[in-house]
Amino acid sequence: MDISSFINFFLIPGIILGSIYALGAIGVTLVYAIMRHGHFAHGDLATFGAFMVLLFSASSGLSPYAALPIAAVAAGLMAIAIDWLFYTHLRTLPKIITTISSLGVALMLRAVVQIFWGVNTLSYETGIARPENWFGLRIKPHEVVTVVMVIGLVVALEIFLRHSKWGKAMRAMSDNPDLASLCGIDNRKVIALTWMLVGALCAASGFFLGLNTQVKSLMGWNILLPTFAAAILGGVGRIEGAILGGLIVGICEEMSVLVIRSEYKVLSGFVILLLALLIRPTGLFRGKVL
Amino acid sequence: MRNTVLGMASLIVAAGVAATPAQADVGIGLVGGITGGTAALAPEMMKSYQFAVKQVNDQGGIKNGEKLIGVVADDGCNAQTGVDAVTKVVNVSQVVGMAGPWCSGVVLAVANSVTIPAGVVLITPAGTSPQITALKDNDLVFRTVPSDEYQGQVLARTLLARGTTKVALSFINNDYGKGLADAFQKEFVAKGGTVAARAAHEENRASYRTDLAQLAKGGADTLVLIDYGDSSGLTVLRESIENDFFKTYVGGEGMKTTATIKTIGSKNLANFYVSSPVSEKSQSLEVFASGFKSAGGDPNATFVSTSYDAVFLLALAIEQTGGDKTKISAALRNLVDAAGESIMPGEWAKAKALIAAGKPISYKGASGTLAFDANGDVPGAYALFKVNGDDFQFVTDMK
Repeated sequence: MDISSFINFFLIPGIILGSIYALGAIGVTLVYAIMRHGHFAHGDLATFGAFMVLLFSASSGLSPYAALPIAAVAAGLMAIAIDWLFYTHLRTLPKIITTISSLGVALMLRAVVQIFWGVNTLSYETGIARPENWFGLRIKPHEVVTVVMVIGLVVALEIFLRHSKWGKAMRAMSDNPDLASLCGIDNRKVIALTWMLVGALCAASGFFLGLNTQVKSLMGWNILLPTFAAAILGGVGRIEGAILGGLIVGICEEMSVLVIRSEYKVLSGFVILLLALLIRPTGLFRGKVL
Repeated sequence: MRNTVLGMASLIVAAGVAATPAQADVGIGLVGGITGGTAALAPEMMKSYQFAVKQVNDQGGIKNGEKLIGVVADDGCNAQTGVDAVTKVVNVSQVVGMAGPWCSGVVLAVANSVTIPAGVVLITPAGTSPQITALKDNDLVFRTVPSDEYQGQVLARTLLARGTTKVALSFINNDYGKGLADAFQKEFVAKGGTVAARAAHEENRASYRTDLAQLAKGGADTLVLIDYGDSSGLTVLRESIENDFFKTYVGGEGMKTTATIKTIGSKNLANFYVSSPVSEKSQSLEVFASGFKSAGGDPNATFVSTSYDAVFLLALAIEQTGGDKTKISAALRNLVDAAGESIMPGEWAKAKALIAAGKPISYKGASGTLAFDANGDVPGAYALFKVNGDDFQFVTDMK
């Protein structure tokens, strides 16, 4: 196999897939860093976000890209509402209870999507997008957009966390919620803000997944495992870890076809998760706090 | 507030009581993949199920006017979900027989772990895997749709006859995909064709470009794609067309969904062909088609005639046996025996009178003669379709 087809058909799809996983994994990591519980409704929140993009772009005639910010806000508000309805009163109980309840939330969210939009496969745009040839690299326009937007979102999030007042509050709470509270940081506001960010990131990952494949009610659930694998591999609670983890999982998944039969491609997510837990359970970046 | 809650609760209880069939009514399971890979086929197939139930009830019901109750359940085209749903249908709703499930993998799982142990007859209108033939089923599993053993063979012969001698074979990694792919490959190779590359793929992945790149290395310019057009099949097809991995695409009946055309656009699908079981032209089919059309259904949709036959035949068997589930499978064979008096789709009142008089009847199915062989399989007819505008257009019969 020559180098260009290796890049075109193995590396580029891996990077695209990895970027989508990375967005999801950042959300998982944020939830864990602030609230200290796993969040299984993450995939279905991404599905919800993807369908909100569809709703806003169809109802207003906007392009799906323009509808993404509105959908991100909607998914963020949904995440805050879910937290308020289902997680708030569990906050003082052992975290495993919240984690399990998020599985129930996942099923409910999926049911809501299925009731409103049905179970058929939909898409943002009909027709096909042939890749353009950039000096031998075959890249589709929406793949460029995916990667650029993912980088943009990550940089914006980093700047927010490092330099803004509320970002610092989030990091403080991640480090020690009691101490943060004593210093006058309103934990409830920080939690709401976290869910807003998580919802928006979910909407983005759902949107990019839908843009690169199709929009359907099980789309988010299907990427939940690799997303968690990415977050754990990178080190739960670390954003840069989530990105690296996402890319590694995505690329490994696509590359695995070179060595194993393609029906076992799905296994690579499990294998990475297992290896990470066995060899380096703290993750590549060894982190617990933002 | 408390009163409202109490009121709501009693309403729900009341609704629950109302939905439970009265003692004498007879329940049958109407199972199918309303969600999951077959979701696109579901609306019309479910409509066809219900159309048959309605005809039975409108023309006198079972025995002395008892109603036939269709218990609808969603198997999600997923073995786990299907077993849960059917366990409920069989053990809680106490059905005497069932139509569905549709996906081969679900049929196998459900038959092995629920219906065969419970002694309940299962008639699938869409489960096509050759593996269903081999089930040790105590004569409890039937189908109104032909096995993919035949479809694989006719598809292989048709492609060879059209001058395609080298293909790559890609299929979804489940009982349907593997069954049809194996049947195709066996015949294709035996008749002189070459399968340059062959690979299964897992459903619900985000991208299949790497899989396709591996397949394309074999050098074939035709891809035989056995998958669901609502699920991974759509992604595979789109990514392959976008990257020009192959020139021509040939799918099984799972790819014959309008979701494919709607998403990819018919102008990009000029070289996309699908094979699909078709109902042999018959008076029965015309009677069914006009009746189903006036009931608001689309008689040209995939698997509607087989769905109808499954329910109608099951109802006939219940009428003949008085709902005794141990006798239903024998009755199914008697009812399609050519010797009796012909019964067309919808002729419930006539059939009821004949059964009451103890006369043999022979049900002429909308989808064909339904001559069950020893394994409960039926022979079938197939045709090749291509995309034209927003729908599929007949190209040629496949022999």
